[in-house]
Amino acid sequence: MADWILTLVLISPLAGVLLLMLGRGEDGPRFRLIALGTSLVTFILAVVAFSMFGQSVTSSGQAGGFHLEQSVAWIGGGESDVDIRYHVGIDGVSVWLVLLTTFLTPLAIWGSFSAITKRARGYYALLLLLEVGMLGVFCAMDLLLFYVCFEFTLIPLFFLIGIWGGSDRQRAANKFFIYTVAGSVLTFAGVLYLAYYGYAHGPDQVFTLDIQTLTAMGQSGLLPMDVQWWLFVAFAAGFAIKVPFFPVHTWLPLAHTEAPTAGSVLLAGVLLKLGTYGFFRLSLPVLPDAAFVFGPFMATLAIVGISYAALAAWVQTDVKKLVAYSSVSHLGFCMLGLFSLKMAGVTGSVMYMVNHGLSTGALFLVIGMMYERYHTRDIHEIGGLAKPMPWMAFFLVFFTLSSIGLPGLNGFIGEFLVLLGTATSNTETDALAAGPLGYGYAIPAAIGIILGAVYMLWMCQRVLFGPLREPVNTPDRSTGLTRDLTLREKLILVPIGVVCVVMGVWPKPILETMEPAIAANVFHQSPATSEQLVLDPSEMDDSVAPETKEGHAS
Amino acid sequence: MVEGTISTWSMLIMLLPLLGAVLAGALGPTVLKGRSHWPVLLGVGGALVGAVVIFGQVRDAHDEHQMVVPLYDWISTGAGTWFSVSVLVDPLTSIMLLVVTGVSLLVVIYARGYMRDHNEPVRGYERFFAYIGLFVFSMCALVLGGNFLLLYLGWEAVGLCSYLLIGFYYDKPAAAAAAKKAFLVNRIGDFGFGLGILLIYLTFNSLDYQTVFAMVEMGFDAAGDKVSTGRFTAIALLLFCGAVGKSAQFPLYVWLPDAMEGPSPVSALIHAATMVTAGVYMVVRCGAIFAASPTAMAVVACVGAFTAFFAATMALVQTDMKRILAYSTVSQLGYMFLGLGVFAAEAAVFHLYTHAFFKALLFLGAGSVMHAMGGKIDFREFGGLRRIMPWTYATMLIGSLALAGFPLLAGFWSKDEIIHAAFAQDWLLGTVGLVTALMTSFYTFRMVFRAFHGVTRVPEGVHAHESGGWMLVPLVVLAIGAIFAGYAGVTMHPGGFVGLFEPHGWFHHFLEPVVEPFKVNGVGHVAAGHVGEGSGWVVAHLSHYGLMYASSALALIGIGIAYVLCVDSPMLAAVIRRAFPRTHEVLYNKYYVDEACIRWIVEPLKRAGRFCVGVDNFVIDGIVWFVTAVPRGLGWGLRGLQQGALQGYAASMVVGLALLLVIVLFGTWT
Repeated sequence: MADWILTLVLISPLAGVLLLMLGRGEDGPRFRLIALGTSLVTFILAVVAFSMFGQSVTSSGQAGGFHLEQSVAWIGGGESDVDIRYHVGIDGVSVWLVLLTTFLTPLAIWGSFSAITKRARGYYALLLLLEVGMLGVFCAMDLLLFYVCFEFTLIPLFFLIGIWGGSDRQRAANKFFIYTVAGSVLTFAGVLYLAYYGYAHGPDQVFTLDIQTLTAMGQSGLLPMDVQWWLFVAFAAGFAIKVPFFPVHTWLPLAHTEAPTAGSVLLAGVLLKLGTYGFFRLSLPVLPDAAFVFGPFMATLAIVGISYAALAAWVQTDVKKLVAYSSVSHLGFCMLGLFSLKMAGVTGSVMYMVNHGLSTGALFLVIGMMYERYHTRDIHEIGGLAKPMPWMAFFLVFFTLSSIGLPGLNGFIGEFLVLLGTATSNTETDALAAGPLGYGYAIPAAIGIILGAVYMLWMCQRVLFGPLREPVNTPDRSTGLTRDLTLREKLILVPIGVVCVVMGVWPKPILETMEPAIAANVFHQSPATSEQLVLDPSEMDDSVAPETKEGHAS
Repeated sequence: MVEGTISTWSMLIMLLPLLGAVLAGALGPTVLKGRSHWPVLLGVGGALVGAVVIFGQVRDAHDEHQMVVPLYDWISTGAGTWFSVSVLVDPLTSIMLLVVTGVSLLVVIYARGYMRDHNEPVRGYERFFAYIGLFVFSMCALVLGGNFLLLYLGWEAVGLCSYLLIGFYYDKPAAAAAAKKAFLVNRIGDFGFGLGILLIYLTFNSLDYQTVFAMVEMGFDAAGDKVSTGRFTAIALLLFCGAVGKSAQFPLYVWLPDAMEGPSPVSALIHAATMVTAGVYMVVRCGAIFAASPTAMAVVACVGAFTAFFAATMALVQTDMKRILAYSTVSQLGYMFLGLGVFAAEAAVFHLYTHAFFKALLFLGAGSVMHAMGGKIDFREFGGLRRIMPWTYATMLIGSLALAGFPLLAGFWSKDEIIHAAFAQDWLLGTVGLVTALMTSFYTFRMVFRAFHGVTRVPEGVHAHESGGWMLVPLVVLAIGAIFAGYAGVTMHPGGFVGLFEPHGWFHHFLEPVVEPFKVNGVGHVAAGHVGEGSGWVVAHLSHYGLMYASSALALIGIGIAYVLCVDSPMLAAVIRRAFPRTHEVLYNKYYVDEACIRWIVEPLKRAGRFCVGVDNFVIDGIVWFVTAVPRGLGWGLRGLQQGALQGYAASMVVGLALLLVIVLFGTWT
C-alpha cells in the first residue's frame, strides 16, 4: 500500500470530479456535498499518508530522504535514451505542504457553500482539479510531472477567477494567466536544458528528468558556473512570478481582489508556495553555486519587496487587496530565508510557507464572510463591525495577530527563524559553510515586521472598531446567513485557529520532520565545500548529521 | 530550592490565570455572565499563592540563588540544538511575581465592582476578565522565562493584552486609535529589541540566560574571542530600545498617556504597576551586558533622567486626572532607569516595588472618582469630592503623599535612594532628580486639591456616590502598602525610631545576587551608603541627612505651592498662566510631539505607500504592458496580410516567386 498511497491521494479528487460530472443539472446542494466529501476523503488519505511516512522514516532510518515512492515508466524507459517517469514521493518538507493543501481545500469548499449559487457543479469540479494540480507539484519527483502539474494549476484558477470572480474578473484572469505562463515557459526551457546537459555530460547518458538524479548532478559539481547562472535565471523567471517576488508581483493584487473566496484561499494558501517550493526543490539544490552568487541579489529584492509591499498595503482601501499586498510582503521573508543558505533560515522559510498558508488563507475566509454580508470590501464603507459581529471580530484579530508574527502563534516561528538564519548567515557555525547574507540584511528586514503590524492593525481598527458603519440594505441575509458568523463559518475557522496555536506553542514535531529533509536537500553539500565533500563521502554524511545530535542547550 | 516545587508552582502561576481567562472567555457569554470574574479571580489568587511559595523557596535557599527548570523544547536552531521553554527563578523573579500577582488580584477584585453600571455588568464584562487573565499569564511568562526568546514572547504577549485592553471600549474611536498607537510604538521599540536578541545569538550562539551571562562575565564570545566593548554597547542599546518602548521612555513614551482610554483597572495594573516595569526588569536581568558598556549605562541614565523631568513638566498643566497620573508614571519610570544607569539597580527595583503600590492605588482611586462622576475624569468638571467620597479621598491622599515623597511613606525611601546614587555619579543627574521631585509633589497635589477640595461640584445629572466594597477594599489594602512597603528596604537613613528605621537594607540584601553584575562589572559603581569616586562636592556637602532633608523639604514645598495655587488663591494660577501663555500652551499640548510624529513620520510613509502603488500600476504594469504589446503589435502588423481576399494572396505569391527566381538566377552564391 505504501507505494500506492500518494497516487490515491492524487486520484481521489479526480474521482470527485468524475462524480460531479455524472450528476445532472448545474446547481443544487448535492454538488457541494460531493465536493466536500471528496476533499475530506483526500484529507483523510493525506493523514494516512502522513502516518505511513512516519512509519517509513522510523523503519528505514532515512529521515532526510523521500518516502512512499512510486515510479512507473511514462515516456521512454527500457532500452531507450529517454527515461521520463511517473515518479511520486514525499520527504519531510513536502509532506507538510501536502497536508496543508488537503487541509485547506475542504475548508475552502465548505466556505463556498453560501457564496456560490450559480453553476455550482463546474465551480466545485474546478476546485478539486486545482487541488490535484497542487498536490501533484508537491509529490512529483520527476520534473516533467512537476512542470505539468505546476502549469495545470493555472487552468482551474483561470476559470475560477474568470467565471465566479468580481466585476473586473476577466481582466484579472487574463493577466494572471499570461503573466504566469510567460514566466514558466522560460522555466520549462531551463528544465529541458538541464536534462539535456545531464544527458550529454552525465555519467549515464540518459535523458532523465528525475529530480534526485539532477540534484545529485548539480551537487557533484558537474554543472559549470555559467550553465548554473543561466539555469538559475530561467528557473527564477517562472518561480519568482509565482511567488510573487518583487518586482514581478503585480498580477497578484488584481487576481486576489477578483477571485472568489475559495480561489483566494487556495491561491494565497498554497499556490504561491509553488514558487518558493520550486526555489527550494530545484534552484537551491541543483544550482548551489548560482544560489550562492545570486543570494545577495535575491535577498536585496526580497527586502525591498517586504517594505515596498507593506507600504503599498497600508494605502489600500480594499481589504482584500490589502491582504494580497501583505502576501507579497510576507513571501519576501520566505525568499530571504531561503537565500540565507543556513539551516535556520531555510527551515524558517519552509515553516513560513505553511504558516502563511494558514493565516492568510484564514484571513481571506474571514474577509469573504464579511463580503457575503456587505457586498463591499471598501474600508470607507464599513466600520465598527466588532459590535454586531463579535465572532468575526475575534477571528479577524486572531489571524491578524498570527499573520504579524505574535510569539506563541504560528507566524512567529517562521519569522524568527528566517531572521535568525539571515543574521547568522555569514558565520560558520552549525557545521555548515558561511552563507551569502549577514546581520546587515536582518536590519532592514526587521523594519518590515513593524510595517506589517502597521497596516494589519490599521485594517482591524477601520473595519472592526469605532462607530458602526454599514452600507444601506445590509447585511444581506438572503442566502441564509445570520448577522454574526453562522455555526458553519465558525467551524471552518476554528480548526485553522487551533492549528495556529498548536504550531506556535509546540512546533517541535514539524521542525523535527523538516530539518533532516532540508539538510539532505539543500545542505547535502554547501557551495564552499563542494569539492571536498565529493572527494570524501564520509564528510557528506557529517553535514546531514546535525539533526541526530539534538541537545537542550538552547 | 526544590526543583519539583519550583517547576510545579511556576507552571501553575502561568497556567491558572490562563485557565481562568479561557473559562471566562468560553463560558462567560452564555453561562457565567455576571459571574465571569470568578474563574479569573481564583486563577490569579492561585498564582499569588504560587508566587508566595516561590518567594519562600528563594528566601530560604542557601547557596544557590538561581534555578533553571527546562520544561520542553520549543524552536530548533537548525544546528541540532533547541530553544527551550524553561523557567528561571531567582530573587528578582520572585519579587516581580509577588508584585504582579498581588496587584493583579487586587485589581481583579476592584474590577468586579468597577466594571458594573448600577450593579449591572457592563457590555464585554467576560471579555474584560478574560483579557486580564491572559495578561497575568503573559506577564508571569515574561518574568519567569529562562531565555531571551521567552522574554520576547512575554514581551509581545503583554503588549497584545495592553492593545486589547486599551481598546476595550472599541466603539470609541479614541480608544481604538490609542490601542493601535500603543501596539505600534511598542513595535518600534521591539524592532531594536529583536535585533538585540539576534545580535546576542550571533555573538554567543545561545539565547539562554545562564549561558549568555556566563560568557558575558568572562568577556568571550562563542568562538572564544574577546568581545569588544562596542559589541556590548550595541547589544545593550538595542535591548534598551525595547525597554524605551515598553516602559514609555523618551522618545517612545507617546503611547502611554493615550493608553488611559482603557478602563481604569487596566491603567492601574498594566500601565502603572506591572507591564510598564518590564523594561526595568529586563535591564536588571541583562545587568551583565549593560554594566559591561559604560556608554550604554550613560545612555540609560540620561534617558531616564530626561524622561523623568520631561514627563513631569507635562503633568504640571494637564487637567485629566488619569493623564496626570500617566505622565507621572512615565516620570517615575524615568527615575527607575536613572537608578539603573547609575549602577543602583537594587534601588531601581526597590522603587519599582514601592511605585507599584502607590501608583496602582492612585489609578484605582481615580477610577473610583470616574465611576462616581459618570465617566468624567477632568477635574475642571468637578471638585470638592472629599465630602462625597471620604474613603476614596483618604486613600488617594495617602497614595499622593507616597508619590510626592512625603517623609516615611513608601516613595520617600526608594526615590531618595535613586537621587542619592545619581548625585554620587554626576551632580547634574542628581539635580534633575531633585527638581523633578519638586514638580512631582506639585502636580500630584494640584490634582488632589482640585478634585477633592474646595466647593463641592459634580457634573450635571450625575448621582455622585462613594464606591462599593469591592472597590474600596483594594484601595485600603494598597493604601496600607503605600505607607509601609518602604520599610522592607530602609538603607540610608540611620535613626533609631522603634527599630523601624534602622538601615537594615533587607530588600537590597535579598536582591544582591541578582544585581551583582552592576557591582562587579560596573565602572564607577556606588553601593548604597558609600560615596564613590568622582562624586564631587555635592555628595561631600549633601550628606545622607542633607539629601534626606532636602528632598523632604522639596516635597513639602511642592505641596505648599499646590495649596496656594489651587486652594488658597486660584487667581494667582490664572495670572501665572496668562503671564506665560506660550509655555502653558506648549506644555498643555504635550510639546506637539504627536502632531510632529504624524507630520514627519506617518504622512511621509503614507506618501511612500502611495508612491509604491503608483509604481506598481504605472511603471511595472507599464513594462508588462509593453512586453505584451510586442506580440500584439506583430499580430496587428501581420493581420493585414491575411485579409482573406484571393487576389491579394495571388499577388503576393507572384511577387514571392519572382523574387525567388531573381535570387536563384542572379544569386552570387550559386
